[in-house]
Amino acid sequence: MSLNASSRSAPPAMSFSFHRPGSLDAAIAFAREQGDAARFLAGGTDLIIQINRGRVAPRHLISLDGLGLDRIDEAATEYAIGAMVTHDAVVNHPGFQTNLVALAQASAVVGGRQVRNIATVGGNIVNASPAADLVPVLLALDATVDLRGLNGTRSMPLDRFLVERGRTERRPEEILTAVRFDKPPAASATWFLKAGRRKAMEISVICVAAQLVRGGKARIAIGAAASRTVRVPDAEVLVERQGAAAFREAGRIAADAVAPIDDVRASARYRKLLVAALVERALVACAGRIERGEA
Amino acid sequence: MSTYERRVAGKRLKRIDGIGKVTGKHVYASDFALPGMLFGKILRSTEAHARIVRLDVSKALALPGVRTILSAQDIPQILFGTAVKDRPVFAADVVRFRGEAIAAVAATSLEIAEAAVRAIEIAYEPLPAVFDMEEALKPGAPLVHGAWGDYQALPVLDREGNISGRSSMAGGDIEAGFAECYRVYEHRFTTQHVHPGYTEPRTAIASWDGNGDVSVWCNTQLPFDMKNMLAEVLDLPASKVRVVVPGIGGGFGGKLRVGVEHFAAWLARRSKRPVKIVTTSEEELTDAYPRQPTVITLRTGVSKDGILIAREGRVLLDCGAYANSGPATAALALQMLAGPYRTPHFSYESVAVYTNKGSTGSFRAPAGPMGNFAVESQIDLIADDLGIDPLEFRLRNVYREGDKGPAGDTVSSVSIEESLRRAADAIGWKDRKPGPDGGKSRGKGLACSWWLTTGGSSGVYVKINPDGTVTVVSGAVEIGTGAMTGAAQILAEELGVDLGDINATDVDTHLSPYDYGAQGSRTAFSVGNACIAAAQDLRRQIGELVGPLWNVAPESVRLEGKGVVSGNNRLSLAEVAALSQRTGGGLISHGTFIQPMPTFDPTRVRNHPLPAWTSHSFHTHAVDLSVDDVTGEVSINRYVVAQDVGFAINPTYIEGQIEGGVAQGIGQALSEEIVYEGGRVLNANLTDYKMPTMMDMPRVECILIEKPSVNGPYGAKGVGEPPCIQPPAAIANAIAAATGVRIQTLPITAEKIALARLKDGD
Repeated sequence: MSLNASSRSAPPAMSFSFHRPGSLDAAIAFAREQGDAARFLAGGTDLIIQINRGRVAPRHLISLDGLGLDRIDEAATEYAIGAMVTHDAVVNHPGFQTNLVALAQASAVVGGRQVRNIATVGGNIVNASPAADLVPVLLALDATVDLRGLNGTRSMPLDRFLVERGRTERRPEEILTAVRFDKPPAASATWFLKAGRRKAMEISVICVAAQLVRGGKARIAIGAAASRTVRVPDAEVLVERQGAAAFREAGRIAADAVAPIDDVRASARYRKLLVAALVERALVACAGRIERGEA
Repeated sequence: MSTYERRVAGKRLKRIDGIGKVTGKHVYASDFALPGMLFGKILRSTEAHARIVRLDVSKALALPGVRTILSAQDIPQILFGTAVKDRPVFAADVVRFRGEAIAAVAATSLEIAEAAVRAIEIAYEPLPAVFDMEEALKPGAPLVHGAWGDYQALPVLDREGNISGRSSMAGGDIEAGFAECYRVYEHRFTTQHVHPGYTEPRTAIASWDGNGDVSVWCNTQLPFDMKNMLAEVLDLPASKVRVVVPGIGGGFGGKLRVGVEHFAAWLARRSKRPVKIVTTSEEELTDAYPRQPTVITLRTGVSKDGILIAREGRVLLDCGAYANSGPATAALALQMLAGPYRTPHFSYESVAVYTNKGSTGSFRAPAGPMGNFAVESQIDLIADDLGIDPLEFRLRNVYREGDKGPAGDTVSSVSIEESLRRAADAIGWKDRKPGPDGGKSRGKGLACSWWLTTGGSSGVYVKINPDGTVTVVSGAVEIGTGAMTGAAQILAEELGVDLGDINATDVDTHLSPYDYGAQGSRTAFSVGNACIAAAQDLRRQIGELVGPLWNVAPESVRLEGKGVVSGNNRLSLAEVAALSQRTGGGLISHGTFIQPMPTFDPTRVRNHPLPAWTSHSFHTHAVDLSVDDVTGEVSINRYVVAQDVGFAINPTYIEGQIEGGVAQGIGQALSEEIVYEGGRVLNANLTDYKMPTMMDMPRVECILIEKPSVNGPYGAKGVGEPPCIQPPAAIANAIAAATGVRIQTLPITAEKIALARLKDGD
C-alpha cells in the first residue's frame, strides 16, 4: 500500500512510499530487498524530523504498526516491553509504579504529550542517541534486547547492543521486537533523574538511572555524558560493597568515568558536575525508597 | 475621566475573536491558500561575509515543476529599511550574514522548491567578517557596509562606518555630580539575542491581478507600513499594493517589518501565479527580527544615604548585518538607563552597531529588558553595598508626580511608589532571604520600570447596521492580545450596546482606514480613542436625525440600552439605523485619534527619534525563587506583577498580557539565547532554542493599579509591552539574594550559577 499525503495549503516537503506489511517476516523480507532505500518506521518522532531536515531520504518507510509489538508482557520472572509500546503506555503501566518507577519517570519526560503518545520504546533504543531517556533505566535493569531477522530471533544484552551515537549491533533488516528484564526483588528500588535547561520538552543535558537491591546489586547508568549511554561498573561495585557511605564517592567516580562534550546545551565541565550530583541523588532516592518500604 | 458606572468597558467579557480561535476555525495567514498557487523557498547564504563569485540556477531551473527562480540580477537594485535603507531583497555581490537570501524559487510543490534550492550552484570568496560589537567599533575593523555613506537614512541618525546610529541624552553636570558622590559604582552587563517566539511562522501569499495590482495576504502587525515598503521594493505606486491580514498567530514586534512578503510578491509577479511562502524554524532563528544583544556599562554615584546623584551609561546594541530598528532601539535604551528614577546629573550614550550576523528588530518593549536588567541589577548591588534594603533604596529615588524625565519632559500620572509597595507586600518582602531550603537556597528579588504608550494615529470606520449591530473597520490588526476586543468594549460602552453587538473586520489596506499598527502598546489605547471619536460623531448624526422628528434638541439625545432616547421619546438603534438608510446614507462615521506629543528640552537630546515619552506606565515585578545548591537549577515559587494600567478595559486580557510577557521575560532571564559561533547559529531549531514551557511557569499574580492617564480612553495606559521588561532583573536579583552569586550576563543558566558558586566556594 502506498500513501501520498497532502494537505490543503502545503504539500509535504518529502515523498516516500509507505508500507504496512502484514507480518514481521514480510517486513524483514521487504527491508532485505530494499536495503538502504528502506527504513523501519515506529513512532516516527525522530525519523520524520531527520527526513524533513534532509539528513536521510529513504524511498520506503516500513511501518511496524499492527504487528503485535505494542504489548507489555509480564511473566513470572520478567517483563517484556514490545518495541512499539509508547512512552505513554510505560508511564501508565501499573507494574512500573513501585520498584520499577524509573521506567515511568524516564518515559514521562520524553518530549511532550503528543510525542509520548506516539514515540516508542523500541525507537528510543535503536535510535541510539546518547541522550535517550529510557536507555539508562533499561541499562540499569540489565535489560536484553530481542532482534528478529532473516534467521529467526537472537538476543543480546542492551549494553552490548549499543555501540555508539547512532550505531547499534542491529543489522539493517533486523527488527528490535522487545526489550526484556528480570523482575526485581521486592526490597529494591529504581530512580531516574534528568537535568536540562527547562523543566519539560527537554533533551537531557545529563540523565541518570540507578537501581539498588537490598543486600544485592547496584546499577548506575548515565545518558548524554559520552558517545553512548554508559554504566559505571567501578561505582556500582563500590556501592555494592559499602552501601550508602559510598554514594557521594560513586558520584565522583561516575563523573570521572564519563567523557562528555562541550556543546550548545552545556559544557563538559558542567555535565560532569551534574553527573556527580545526580548519581548521588539517584542512589539516595533508591535507598530512601527501600528504607521507607516505598519500593 | 468620568466616573459613571460602566456596563461594558472594564468588564471581564469574552473576546470577540475567541470562538474561532479556540475551535480552530479562525483563518490565519498560514491557513490561507489560493487556487493554482506555487510554493516559494529561499536560497540562503552559508557564509557570514563573502563575495558571491558564481551563481548558476540553470540546473535548478531545469527541474520539472520549477516555474521561476529570481536573484539580485533579475530585479531592480532597490535597498530598503526602516531607519537606514541598507538592505537588498537578494544579496547582490556580497552576503553579509549567514542565512541572507540570495535567490528564491517558485515551484509547484514545496518539495520541488526545496530540491531546486539545493540544485542552485554557488561559490563564494570569503571576506573578513566581524561578529563582536566591540571589535566592530575598533579602527580598521572590517566594514559590514563598505558603502554606508551612500545610503539613504533618517536625518536624525548619526552614522559612521559600522555605526548605524548613535544617540545621547544628558542633563545636569556629570563631572560635578560624580565629584559630590559618596561612592561611585561601575558595572558591565551583557544581554543576548532572543526570538519573539510567535506561534505562527511568518507567511505571505501574493497574487497579481489583470490591472497589475498586487494583493499580499500576510501576518504583518503593520499592514500600512508593509504596503508602503512593498511598493518601494516592487517599484510601484503604493495604491497598487494591497495588504490583507487574515489572521496573525502572534507578533511581539517580530512581524513589524517585511519577512517573506517581498519574495512572494516578486515570485508571483514573474511566475504569473500566486505564490505562498512560510518560514521554517531554522529560518526564524537565522533571519528574523530577534531582540538585539547589548553590552551595557553603568557608572552610578550615590550619596551615603542612598540618593542617586550621577549616572553615566553606555549601551552598545548589535543590529546584525542590517540596521532595521536598531538605531531607534538603541535610542530607547537611554530612557531605560534613566529608569523611573530622579538622577540630577546624567550622561547616556547608545551606539547601534553592524556585525555580520542576522538582522534584529523591535521585539516587545525594544531595549526594555536589556536596560532594565543593567539598571535594576546595579541598584541592588549598590543598595547591598550601602546596607540599604533594595526596596527602600528605590523608594528614596523614584519619580514623583511632575518630575522631569531625561529629556526634560514632564512625567505625570506617576504610580511607581504604589507599584513597588504593593508588589513587595504581595511577595512578602520583609522575609527576603529565607535561606536554605532542603538542598536549595531561596531568595526574593524585585525590579521596577517605566514604559511609554506609543503614539501614531488611528482611524476607524463605524457603521450602525439596520439590525442594530455595529461594524467597526479598523486598520489595526488583532495580534492575539485582545486589544481589538478592548476597543470594541469602549465602542459598545459609548454606543449603549453590548459587546456581542460589535463586529470587527479583518484589515485590508484597500478598505480599512489608516492605523499606525499593532505595536508599542498602543492598539487598545489608540483605536479605543478613535472609537470614542466615532461614537461621538454618530451620536451627533443620530441627534440631527431624530431631533426634528421628536422636536427636541439634537444634543439631548442619548444612546442607551440599544436605543435612542430623549425625554419620553425612544426608538431602537436598529430602527434609527434603518431610518437613516431610507432617508440618507446610513449611520457611518470615521473616528480618528492621535496622541499629542509632549514638549521636551532639545538641548538634553541628540539624535533621538523618540526623546519624550507619552502616557507613561509604571510597574514592579517581584519574584520568590529557589536555586538548587549543586546544579544551579532555578525554580520559581511565586511571581507577582503590580502594573499601572491606567484603566483596566478588560482585566482578563490584561492579566493574559502580563502572564505572557512574564513567560517571555523568564525565557530571556533563564533559558533563551540564539547562540552564534563565528557567524553561525548553533541552535537554529526549537529543540535547542529554549522557550519556557508551562512546566517552567509559575502562576503569575497580577495586581492592576489604575492611575488614570490624561490621554487614554477612560484613563487607560498601554499594557502590552511592559510585562516582559523586568523578569531578567527581578530574577537576577532574587538569585543573588538566594545564593550570593550575581550573574551579569543573560541568560542566567543553571550552569552559570553552578559554576559561579563553585568558584565562590574555592
